This record gives sequence, structure tokens and C-alpha cells, in this order.
Amino acid sequence: MRRLSRFAFLPLLVVVGVITLGAADTQARYNDLGHKLMCTCGCNEILLECNHMGCQASARMTAELRAAVDRGDSDNAILSAFQAEYGPTALAAPWLTRFNIVAWVVPPALLLLGLFGTFLLVRKWKLRTAPMPVVPDDPASRDLRARIRRETEI
Amino acid sequence: MPAFGSFALLVALALSGYNLLAGAVALRQLATGTRGAIAPERLAETARRAGIASFLAATCAAFALVWAAFTNDFSVAYIAEHANRALPGPYKFAALWSGQEGSLLLWAWLLSAYGFVLRVRHKVDVKLTAYASTILAAVQVFFLLLVNIAATPFSLVTGPIPPDGNGLNPLLQYPEMVIHPPMLYLGYVGFSVPFAFALGALMMRYPGEKWIHITRRWTMVTWLFLTIGIFLGAHWAYSVLGWGGYWGWDPVENASLMPWLTGTAFLHSVMMQEKRGMMKSWNVWLIFSTFMLSILGTLLTRSGLVSSVHAFAQSSIGNWFWVFLVITLAVCTFVYILNRDHLKTDHKLESLVSRESSFLFNNLVLLAACFTVLWGTLFPVLSEYVQGNRVTVSAPFYNRVAVPIGVFLLFLTGIGPLLAWRSTSTRSIRKNFVIPAIAALIVAIAVIPLGVHPWTILTTDHQGAFYSWVTFMMAAFVATAILAEFLRGARVIQRHTGRNLLSSVVQLTRRNTRRYGGYIVHFGVVVIFIGLAGSAFNQSIEKTLNYKQSMSIGPYRIECLDYSQDSNPNYDTEFALLNVYRDGRKVTQLAPELRFYTASQQPSTIVANHSTLAWDLYVIYAGKDASTGQPVIKAFLNPLVAWIWIGLIITVLGTGVALFPNLSAAVAAQRSRVTVPDEAVTAGRAGD
Amino acid sequence: MTTIACGLLLIGTFLYVFWPERNIEAQRTKTRLEYLRERREVLFENLRDLNFEYRAGKYPEEDYAAQRATLENEAAEVVAEIDLLESDVLAAPQHT
Repeated sequence: MRRLSRFAFLPLLVVVGVITLGAADTQARYNDLGHKLMCTCGCNEILLECNHMGCQASARMTAELRAAVDRGDSDNAILSAFQAEYGPTALAAPWLTRFNIVAWVVPPALLLLGLFGTFLLVRKWKLRTAPMPVVPDDPASRDLRARIRRETEI
Repeated sequence: MPAFGSFALLVALALSGYNLLAGAVALRQLATGTRGAIAPERLAETARRAGIASFLAATCAAFALVWAAFTNDFSVAYIAEHANRALPGPYKFAALWSGQEGSLLLWAWLLSAYGFVLRVRHKVDVKLTAYASTILAAVQVFFLLLVNIAATPFSLVTGPIPPDGNGLNPLLQYPEMVIHPPMLYLGYVGFSVPFAFALGALMMRYPGEKWIHITRRWTMVTWLFLTIGIFLGAHWAYSVLGWGGYWGWDPVENASLMPWLTGTAFLHSVMMQEKRGMMKSWNVWLIFSTFMLSILGTLLTRSGLVSSVHAFAQSSIGNWFWVFLVITLAVCTFVYILNRDHLKTDHKLESLVSRESSFLFNNLVLLAACFTVLWGTLFPVLSEYVQGNRVTVSAPFYNRVAVPIGVFLLFLTGIGPLLAWRSTSTRSIRKNFVIPAIAALIVAIAVIPLGVHPWTILTTDHQGAFYSWVTFMMAAFVATAILAEFLRGARVIQRHTGRNLLSSVVQLTRRNTRRYGGYIVHFGVVVIFIGLAGSAFNQSIEKTLNYKQSMSIGPYRIECLDYSQDSNPNYDTEFALLNVYRDGRKVTQLAPELRFYTASQQPSTIVANHSTLAWDLYVIYAGKDASTGQPVIKAFLNPLVAWIWIGLIITVLGTGVALFPNLSAAVAAQRSRVTVPDEAVTAGRAGD
Repeated sequence: MTTIACGLLLIGTFLYVFWPERNIEAQRTKTRLEYLRERREVLFENLRDLNFEYRAGKYPEEDYAAQRATLENEAAEVVAEIDLLESDVLAAPQHT
């Protein structure tokens, strides 16, 4: 009996574990999403980083976000809801939709293109460079060379 | 006094205008061989002196404004707007750049100060300086027109003189704010000088690459100012704005980063031109772009084109900048097209793997970074134009797009020094790669037990830990590569002179200050990157605390000892006294504050920060709980932030080293003077 | 008071700008000799660098020899021309 009651404890432990895990998860999600949203009061700061006194917008938005996360809405649903309510500027970075894709694609594409171009350029310069120069070998140039070596020893 | 200031500005404008006109006429006459009523050389000399005198006039104007601030002359609208009686002395000084008119005056003054130094030191190269001075005068005319017509700092208040001013923006009432804007401006404005030299050299078809040598120190000093300015700004944001971070990817921050990136690219790629006569057109356009980006930065801040936290500076003045920018671009393009044959070079490269190609890639990546920042800053405008709605492009975008580029740049920082000019044998690369690679591997493994788990990138959409892990690894690689480079060089010196290792390192650095100073700068950059990488592991917690209540973050327990309020003529304040414990032992006491400035009726947070090498415990007083009146305390645990500021100090020191003249150059000059003892040589050296 | 200050500033700057100066620095165009000397300095610097890097172990023997030869050839051309021009200058000392 005693042993049984000890085992009866186990599911409780699991349940408590799941709940606290869930709580930690909610907090992390709240934190995460809060950094993907902007405060719309015009301060131009990330929602959870807006700290100016008496900001009405951020207080309201964080409350909404908290509620949505507690309700268990999906990330996408929450972000879409915010976009619908406050306009696209409420998102800290544009969605990957239509023209907005351009925002994400252009810089890396340009970098890759540039890398490729630079590589071609370096190769072109290399190809046109003669590998070994002809060294004239007469007394005058030997003399000059000796002088240069004297001047340029370390 | 305001009348004197206005008059001085008018005189400065007239003098700069004269410098521009007379200088241009004289240069034209000298170039074409025609002569007017006055000998062109004499005309050029008066132009130069007008430029020097414009500095005096601009100084008088700046002095008049500061004087007005110190004597509480609220008949001047600008002073009434940006100062008040209770404001402490140093901040009255800062009033000079706390508003638009004042900061434009500061800009004009700094420009004339740079011009002053350039014109006084004209014997370096009289002709080239005459060109640069005339171009600089044109830029001066623009800024002086602004402060004379569009944004007059000395306009008087309409109606009765107010008994007290509105006060300085409380966010700016912080010691660093007294130096951050001038530093940043010194950086922005400073790029005008290498720009003027480059444009001048192109106009006059300057033979050879000596102009780069002449402008090298200008560029480095300017770069240093801009670097310090940017980091002071970051430090200010961190210590004053109280949101727990130092960089928010705000358009104004971005505006300062862009010319910094192109300026850094320029500092590297000019070496290609100096040493090998390569990339002439590229360098010219790099410095043109750097100058135009610093103007664009001001335009972005002032015009309200993009929304920003620095919105206090907005006005219609943007149109002026647009016009100036377009004119600058037109002039640059015109001069370039006219003289582009002068920049022709046949580029030669002995090997694919060489210092030269590493510079090419470094330039590419720096420019890609600059483009990304510009793209992110302007995309909202573009989006509004194309799809009819504005979007926000903020931290998440840059974290995803710019961070990988930064990490790649760090990688190149490590590769560059391992490569030699012209060509590097694969064997020597392999040899020189081994130790840094081992160091990188050790660090990559060592940081995992400390909580850096790169594999989270596979299961979540958090890339922070992964990029930090790569950064730590790269940092070890680069630092070891730099150290090895110093040791290798020092050993050569040691064999040559028989000195001990330490004095060999010193000797090595003195022989080639630019290279080894540059390596020290690289090391500073590595340390900064380590600090930046720490941000992936930031934690925060917010809680209302009553007496004796406490909260925990990381290893710390924060206990509320007391909370109270106080007031003085400048501000009212609320604060909390917090004891910080670690492992049961008291570590420190923190007192975060919330101030309410009387004159401006604005609140401001005063952050309390306990900084160690491992992390900062950063605490703010977030307000009072409405129902209980107890303080709401927000605490952040930000790892490795101190490394950023330490890295900056190393960077500054390294730049200082690089600014020193080489020892070997002096020795070499002495040697050649001994071997060729004729007057012609000394005459030829007068220009050095 | 303000009028006096303004007057002083105006007169002072005017006098400074237009005060007759006898020794005006001439805007000389760089001579070929000066240009060559700059080139020589750069090439010598490159050679010193090359020697140093070689001793620091960054070049294998054959690379070093080839590159030194290239740079020395270039430098030799420049030095030879300098020698020629300098002997001209010494022969005609009135030329400045």
C-alpha cells in the first residue's frame, strides 16, 4: 500500500513537470514573439524593448500578446493578428510574402554574385600576369641590382 | 552677442565663397596658362588665406552660441529651446549640438577646422592642397549656407524673452553625450578631407600615388573618430536608454555605420594602390561613396524619410541635402568620366592566393555589409513605393542577414594576415593555418559546456547560439593568427639583432607601424566580436519588489533594501536601493533611478549596472506599481558586454600605433641621404 | 560693443586675406625626377617587405627569387632613369 502510494505520486510529478515546462515555454514564446513585434507608438523600438514612461501602445500590445500566448495561439496566428490590427509596420521584419521576399533575398544574392565576380576578376588578373620575368644579365644591371639589394636589406 | 554670431557666420560664408571662387579661377588659370589682372598664384594665396580666415569666423560664431548658452541668453530661440538656467556647465556646452541648428553649426565649424589644418600645412604639396582646399571650400559653402539661411542658430525669439529655457533633452544629459556627437561629427566631417584630396588629385591628374600617402593619416584619424563616436553612441544607448541593449538598428545608427564600413574598405584597398598601383578607380569611388554616405546619413536623420528614435532632429532641411547630394554625385561622375583614362592600370596578380585577393574579398564583404544596412534602412520607403504600404525592417532582419556577413568578415580578418603580398605558397598557408585552426577547435569544444549550444539552430529558429559559437571559434582563430604573425616577425628581428623577444616585438611594430598597428586593431575587433556574440545569451526578468523582497537572475539574487524619492532644481527622482547577492554573499549595491526633468517635463531612466568580464547585471527602475506604490524593477543579465568596450580601447590604441611614423622610413631616408649627397635630393625631399 | 566686435572681425580677416605677401609658394607640377623618386621609395619598400616576409617563412625559395627578380627589374629601370636625370640636373645647376 505504502509502495503503491509512492507510485501514485509519479503521475502527479509528470503533470507538474508538464505544467512548469509549459509555463517556461509560454514565457519563452512570449519573449520570442515580443521581439518580433514593434511598439507602434512611433518610438520605433522592439515591443519588449520599448521602455519609455507611460507608453500606452506598448502596454496594450504586450497585454494582447500575453493573452494570445496564454490562449495557445500559434506563432503565425498571433503575428497575423497583430499585422491585421496594427498594420504591417507592427512586425519587426517583413513576412516572406510577395514583394517582401525581395528584402530578404537581395543582400545575400548580391553578396554571392559579388563573390563570384571577384573570383572571376582575380582569375582574370592572374591569367594575364606573366609568371617569370626575364632577368637581364650585363655588368651594368648587375651593379644596379647590387645597389638595390644593399638599400633594401632588412 | 547673437548679432555678432550671425555676422560671423555671414563673414565665414563670404570667406568660404571667396575661397571657392578665387581658388577655382586661379586653378583654372594655372591649368590653362591664361592670366588675369592678378597673378594666379597670388589669387590662389588669397583664396587659401580666406579659407584659413573662415575658420576664425566660424569659431567666433560657435563661441557666440556657447556664450549665449552660458549667459542664459534666452532671447536666442535656439538657447531657449535647448538650455535652461539650472543646466550644469558641461551640458550647456553640449547645447551647441543638441539641436539641429547647433549641430549644423558644429559641422560647419569642424569642417573649417579641418580645412584650417589642411591649408596651413599646404607645403606638403602646394598644388594638390590648393585643389583640395577649393573643393573643401565648396562643401563649407553648403554648410554655411544652411546655417545662414535654412537653419539659423541665432534667430531671436518672437514675443517676450522667456524667463527660463526649455532645457536640454534629458536623454542627452549624460557625460558621454558631451563627447559622442562631436566625435561622430569629427568622423563624418573628416571624410571630407580625403574626399577633397581624391577629387582634387583626379581633377589635376596627379602623377603617382603620393596623395594617398598624404591623406593616409587624415583617413585614419577620421576613421578613429567615427569608430569612437559610434561606440560612445552604443555605450550611451546602453547606459541611458535603459532597454538593455546597445544597438537597435535604428536608421540613425545605421547611418553612422555605412560610411564606417566603406571607410574601412577604403583604408584597406588604398594599400593596393599605394603598393601596387592597383584599384585606382575603385578607391576613388570608395571615398566618393564614403563622403556621400556621410551626407546621406545626415539626410536620413534630418528629412524624416525614415522613422527613427532620433526624430528630435527632423525638419524640412532634407531638401537642401538632396540637392547637395545630387550636385556632389554629378560633379564626381563628371570629373571621373573626364579623367578616367588617368586611372587606367593593368592589374597584375601573381597568384590567386595572396594578400591582394584577400583585400578584394574584404572590400567586397564590407561593401555587402554596407549595402545590407542601406537596403534595410531604405526598404520601408521602397516598399511603400512598390506595394503601397510601409513595413518595418528592424533587428530580426539584420540578425538574419547582416550577422552572417559580419562573421564572414571576421573570418577574413584572420585569413588576411596569413597571406603574403603577391603570392603565398600553399605549403606556408598550411603551416601557418595549423596552430590557429587548432586554437579554434579547442575553443569550439570548450565553449559548449559553458552553455553555447550551436545545435539549437537545427531544432528551433534561433540562430543566435550557432552564430555565437562560430564567432568564438573564429575569434580564437584570428587572435592566434595575429599572435603568430607578431611572433614570426619578432623572431626574424631577433635573429637579425639578437635582442630579446619583447624588444623584438616592439622593434617589429616600430618598423611597420601601419601593419602591426593594424593587427592590433584587428585584435580589438576580435574582442569586440566576442562581446557582440554574448548578446545571444541575454536574460531578463521584471518584478515588483517590496522591502526585503527579492528576485533571482543567473547567479544573482537582488533584494530591495529601500525605495524613495528626492528632488533638486534640475529634476525630481525616484529610486530603489538594491542589494545584490551571489552565493549568499553581498556583491554590490545598485541604485537604479527614474528622473523627471523639470524644465523639459520629460522622464529619463538612470541605469544601475554591475559590470564584470563575464556579464553585466543591468538593472532599471521601470516605474511604480500603480496600486501598491512599490518599485517595478527590471533586471538584465547581459554576457560579455564589457568585452565590447575593452575591444574599443584596444582598437583605439592600435590606431594610435598605426598613426606613428615608421622607424624604418626614417632610417631609409637617412641612408639614401648619405649615399646620394647632392642638393637635388634635398630639394626633392622638401615635399616629403 | 557688438558693432566694434563685428568691425574688428571684418577688418581683421580682410587685412589677413589681402595683405601683400612676397614669398608665395609656387604651385609646381611634380617633375619626372620627383615622381621617379616616389616610385623608387615604393619599390624599395616592397622589396624590404618581401625580404622580411621571406625570412618570416611566407615564401618558398623559388617564389621569393621570382618575385624579387620582378621587383628588382622594375626598381632597376627606375633607378637607372633617376641616375640619368640626376646627372642632367648636376650638369645644369641653374635649372630648378
